[in-house]
Amino acid sequence: MVLIVMLVILAVTAGVCLIPTRSRVFAPGITVLGAVAILALATHVALTAAAGSKVVAIRDWVSCDGFGALILLLVAYVGLGTAIFSWGHMKGPDGADGALRLRRYYCLHNLFLLAMLAVVTLAQISLVWIALEFTTLASVFLVSFEKTPKAFEAAWKYAILTTMGAILALFGILLLYWGMHQAGGGLFTWDGLTAAMPKMPAGILETAFILILVGLGSKAGMAPLHSWLPDAYSQAPVPVCVLLSLVETATIPYVIFRLWPGFAGPVGAYTGSWLVFFGLVSAGVAAFLLIQVKELKRLFAFSTIEHLGIILVAAGLGGAAAASSAAYQMVTHIITKSFCFFAVGAALLVIKNQRIESIQGLVRSFPLAGVALLLGALAVSGAPPFAVFLSEFSVLKVGLSQSQYLAVGLLVLFVGISFCAIMFHHSRMVFGRPLVPANRPAVPVSYLAPLLLTALPMALLWIYMPGALADLLRLVGALLGR
Amino acid sequence: MARHLLFNLVQVLVVMGVAPLAKGVLVRLKERVQSRQGPSIFQPYRDLRKLLCKDEVVSEQSSWIFRFTPYIVFAAPIFVTLLIPVLTSYPLFFAFMGDMLGGGFILALAGFFAALAAVDTGNPYGAVGASRTRMVGFLAEPVFMMVFFTVSFDAGSTIPYIVQQVWVSPPSNFFSPSHVLVVLSFLMLIIAETGSIPVDNPSGHFELAMIDESKALEYSGRGAALMKWGGHMKFFVLMCIFLNVLVTPWGLAGSLHVTDLLMAIPLVLLKIFLFLLVLVVIESSLAKLRLFRITEFLTAAFITAVAAILTRLLL
Amino acid sequence: MPADVFHSTVTQLNALMGGFFLLSCFAMVATRQILACLKIFVVQSIFLAASACLLGSLHTSWHLFEVAMITVASKVILIPWLLRRSISHDIYARREVSQVFNIPTSLLMALALALFAFFLARPLLPRLAGPSWVNLPIGLLGLFIGAFVVAARREAIPQVIGILAMENGVFLAGIAIASSLPLIAELAAALDALVVTLVFGLLASRIHSHVGTTTVGDLATLKEE
Repeated sequence: MVLIVMLVILAVTAGVCLIPTRSRVFAPGITVLGAVAILALATHVALTAAAGSKVVAIRDWVSCDGFGALILLLVAYVGLGTAIFSWGHMKGPDGADGALRLRRYYCLHNLFLLAMLAVVTLAQISLVWIALEFTTLASVFLVSFEKTPKAFEAAWKYAILTTMGAILALFGILLLYWGMHQAGGGLFTWDGLTAAMPKMPAGILETAFILILVGLGSKAGMAPLHSWLPDAYSQAPVPVCVLLSLVETATIPYVIFRLWPGFAGPVGAYTGSWLVFFGLVSAGVAAFLLIQVKELKRLFAFSTIEHLGIILVAAGLGGAAAASSAAYQMVTHIITKSFCFFAVGAALLVIKNQRIESIQGLVRSFPLAGVALLLGALAVSGAPPFAVFLSEFSVLKVGLSQSQYLAVGLLVLFVGISFCAIMFHHSRMVFGRPLVPANRPAVPVSYLAPLLLTALPMALLWIYMPGALADLLRLVGALLGR
Repeated sequence: MARHLLFNLVQVLVVMGVAPLAKGVLVRLKERVQSRQGPSIFQPYRDLRKLLCKDEVVSEQSSWIFRFTPYIVFAAPIFVTLLIPVLTSYPLFFAFMGDMLGGGFILALAGFFAALAAVDTGNPYGAVGASRTRMVGFLAEPVFMMVFFTVSFDAGSTIPYIVQQVWVSPPSNFFSPSHVLVVLSFLMLIIAETGSIPVDNPSGHFELAMIDESKALEYSGRGAALMKWGGHMKFFVLMCIFLNVLVTPWGLAGSLHVTDLLMAIPLVLLKIFLFLLVLVVIESSLAKLRLFRITEFLTAAFITAVAAILTRLLL
Repeated sequence: MPADVFHSTVTQLNALMGGFFLLSCFAMVATRQILACLKIFVVQSIFLAASACLLGSLHTSWHLFEVAMITVASKVILIPWLLRRSISHDIYARREVSQVFNIPTSLLMALALALFAFFLARPLLPRLAGPSWVNLPIGLLGLFIGAFVVAARREAIPQVIGILAMENGVFLAGIAIASSLPLIAELAAALDALVVTLVFGLLASRIHSHVGTTTVGDLATLKEE
């Protein structure tokens, strides 16, 4: 019941945002209120699921177990952050036209969150695919919000490449359905599929897995199909970048990993090695591209690709511990990445364009943004004492315990290269003599609140993990481990 | 045995006699579709008789190729007629002397000599037309090969009589995808080889745009008559291969009786008439392609033929 | 009509529809004009609906007939109407669509993709007994050739049509291998195709009004440099 209420709240807020009103505060306000409600309900669901019981709204259609609850909580948390941030950051042009565009922005924002929640709560796999499609469709116009030719180019590339990937994945899903029928039939839900998969013929399983991995991977920005990602990130507004990151590193890996426990035996080794392969390729490509990146948001886009690679490698290693560490990496990454992007948003208050070479001495001209950016860069590249270090370390530990020395070695190399690259670029931006005279603007609450919201877990997870979160991670491990 | 030889000769006579009629009917139908009166369907016979009675004018710069080519162009389709089923469904006397590939090569030989003869006189329009004909010819060769391979695969042989019995005779084969694709591909090939729209305009008089007509530009008198007649017979022979081997091998004489053979003649003519109707519809509804679009047309024919063999082999 | 004759006739006709579908995939690669591309897509959807009807009559279930009706309603009627409405007429009237390769090269590459698709589908075929054996390989071929059309065209609308053709291919395979999916999934998929068309059409018209051209292949300004 709770789940349906959550979906309805988001749908209603999306519709209500479109009502033309005099004040420009109405739509953002409704969005923030809705996000707060969603967060409260999501926490409730997460606590219920952490205790071990599955939250069921409509049997076999809408339900949520431990893994789903974890992603639900992440989506709600980050959604609240972006809602608050958008209130201060998104200021459309003046006039009635600008107000209309803003209303559309908030409507699409809510629809995007609704689609992400639907992916996690729906149990029928065909409907999950449709919800994934809707995440793309809702975000196309968000990416092209600025209405410049470059923004349209980025939005077009994004739309075309991700839709192509989704259709490839659809073919894979239909193959799984066929395999399930050959193995005896049943309902096409996550549970039904996981139960039937050990009995399916191996040829169907392998072909379906490759199609789904390549298709959904192109939606998630897995190399070599990542070419749309940096362009979309560089042109989209900052809150939209955060949401895109959320989709790519939380929601889509959720779908891919849900299929994981069904592959057992020799098929499991085959699929695991493909996951590790694509993960390493993504991490490597991202690491080398980070060395020569020229724009600020593109830097964080490549960092997203790198972390996606780490998540895929972690899952591909197989086993309960690896699955837990993959989920942990998902959690820490999205919190840290949101913090980074909010810091970029704060920095955008003073800098004019995003080229890295034109930014210098940020810590003197705008200390808040400078410090936040530096901390975010340290965190996302995996330095202690931040949470990402812990999760990456646990991934490496799992890899070593499974004697996958080559994979672990390559991963360490790529993470090291990207650490050096990110820190090099950031140290140039943050330190030094400022090119812009210091004009510390007043930082509105709407910028501070999301920064704090995401900074707290980022710092605290180093020393304390809430019991519920640990329970959820353990449940994920039990669910996905073979 | 003697009966087989007799039927073979009857086949040749039928082809020689009816080929100009087929052309006449085609021209008349096209003109009628365009709301014009059109010439009589026997006009090609009158043209041939007129040309045979006239003197020949031969350029002094031309060689023996020029004088020899009309006979080759006239004789080649006759040789091919000996090999293919026109009236009977069982092999006749000369049937095993050559298969479909051999027939294709004989027709190509005639085309080769015609192209050489067009260049021989030094007329620039002849050379232009000859080069274009060769371009169409070499692009059409792979299509020929692919079509013949596809239909021979089931029969295990390239003799048209054997192929015809295996390829379409079970009627359930008629709708199979490879059959439909082969038919489409060969239809495009006929259009290209006989110079119909959309590849070439057969009734045009503009030498700069001629492709197939250019081979008969310099001829007069008996040479012109033989080139024209050879062209009509080549068209008729290609239609016979298409209809009697690939599409509708029904209605042919099944036994050695003379009455069966005589009954087969009107049935074959009926099939040819229906095909001419289809051709008229195609010719009247399309426009002539620009020269370099012909490569696309023939590539499409090639792809269709390869798709036919793919669906046959892999499905 | 006796049952086995009916069965074999329907099998033959279904194979014929598959052959025409394959031909329409190649035809989509070989056309130059946007309007012709759209018409070929409509024809392709009609063949898809016909195949669904044939398989439905064989299994004597209403489900596939409903799928066929949904396909006709969305892909033959609504989607072409939406696409024509969203862009002004002078886009459609243009004769030449700019392409990355010329047509014979594109056709040969499409042929190579067809070979690849058949090669992929080969190990799966023995499991697919019965009259719908032709749908899986040709569906996979439709998927790959649709992707090729998206990659090889520089104009906006043919890219959208390529994506819809990919979905046609997936559905052709789907009616054979996943014919008993709940109806709500089919309806939702059709709705998704409609929304995809709406979004792409709207985006393309906005690109046209803001950037001035729909040759999206020429928009290549975002690069690392």
